Amino acid sequence: MDAAKQNEMVQLGHILLQVGSLLMSAGANTGRIRITITRIADAFGYRTEMLISHRTIMLTLLSESDEHFFTNLKRTHPHGVNFKILSGISRMSWRVVAEKWSLEQINAELARLTALPHYPRWLTLTLVSLAGAAFCRLANGSPEDMIIVFAASFLGLLVRQETVRMGFNAYLCVYFAALTAALVAGLPLKLDAPNEHEPAFATCVLFLIPGVPLINSFSDLIDGNIQIGMVRGINGLIIAFAIALGLSSAVIIYQI
Amino acid sequence: MDWLTLVEKFLWSGTAALGFAVLFNVPPRTLLSIFAIGAAGGLVRALLLEAGLNAVLASLAGATLVGVLSISAAHNKHSPPLVFAIPAVIPMVPGLLAYRMMIGLIKLSGTLPPEAYSQVLYETINSALRVMFILMSLAGGVAIPMLLSRKESAKHLHFGTPGDEDDVA
Repeated sequence: MDAAKQNEMVQLGHILLQVGSLLMSAGANTGRIRITITRIADAFGYRTEMLISHRTIMLTLLSESDEHFFTNLKRTHPHGVNFKILSGISRMSWRVVAEKWSLEQINAELARLTALPHYPRWLTLTLVSLAGAAFCRLANGSPEDMIIVFAASFLGLLVRQETVRMGFNAYLCVYFAALTAALVAGLPLKLDAPNEHEPAFATCVLFLIPGVPLINSFSDLIDGNIQIGMVRGINGLIIAFAIALGLSSAVIIYQI
Repeated sequence: MDWLTLVEKFLWSGTAALGFAVLFNVPPRTLLSIFAIGAAGGLVRALLLEAGLNAVLASLAGATLVGVLSISAAHNKHSPPLVFAIPAVIPMVPGLLAYRMMIGLIKLSGTLPPEAYSQVLYETINSALRVMFILMSLAGGVAIPMLLSRKESAKHLHFGTPGDEDDVA
């Protein structure tokens, strides 16, 4: 294997680790990460072996003759669900195969995908709060309750975004958000008739539910990736616990 | 159940799914499908509950519908099924039950007279088990259609138009 080929292997290895790391933090399940990395490596004629864990990915690339190999580890980014990246990388992996992309093209596409903007902040806040109000309605809340939940979710998510930005522990951010939302939604419960606004208080923290960790946990477990499935499940449970702690703090503060 | 309630279930389920879709930063081209899938799942669940099915089975049916629709949407919108399925099942999460379970646990850890204790214990365990089984059926309902298809990717699945093999994730 000449130097150019060797160089390509190393570059591809780093790109694949980057792809895996991005997918993991964006919220892909383990099967998808494995398939995507294998698909791209196949297109370049390399075999892969990998070890995927919650915060680290280990990858070995093997040349066809098994003479040369590349092995490296990469720590994944902190988890933050981003389905635009998930979807973009998945699409890219097919185009790499079909259109025989070069390494430079993949690098450029990855740079483009990671630079894609999120939805505007006001839109996210509004729609998530509206989702909270919708939850409240589904739990038989009155229009009044829906307004309470809208306000509670809005402030709760705002607190979550700000505390994440300030670099607090991720579970603590969830706790702060749950506490804020519960304090807002608990106020009418405290001041007004206690039994009337229960749906509002119960649904005000639902914007925090760890849907992605729990569903990925389940699909990893039944897919045979037991170890990472358990890790994801425990992560989801700690988030759920932080939410419960936030709610119960509000219950204790208000003496409901 | 009158039709107005059903329309409401449909709309609010869709709205909740849409909110989570934006929170998870989905590609804009998938937003409308996520609304529709979430709304359809919520509607089916509400209909089955109304027909007298228990909450666990109704949630399983709703989530399975979400799973199947997500696979077909993945085809048309060039995104992995997960992108549609996760925001769309979240409206079915039993928030009120989970809340009652939590309040029950707080009560149980406090000082209750023995006669009240068994009543609270009964209610708490009942809510907790229902929450657990509903969550499992939601996750299972989403995952099972993908497993049953036994393909590595939604690209190889065919719904409707044959020969439609664009770059699907």
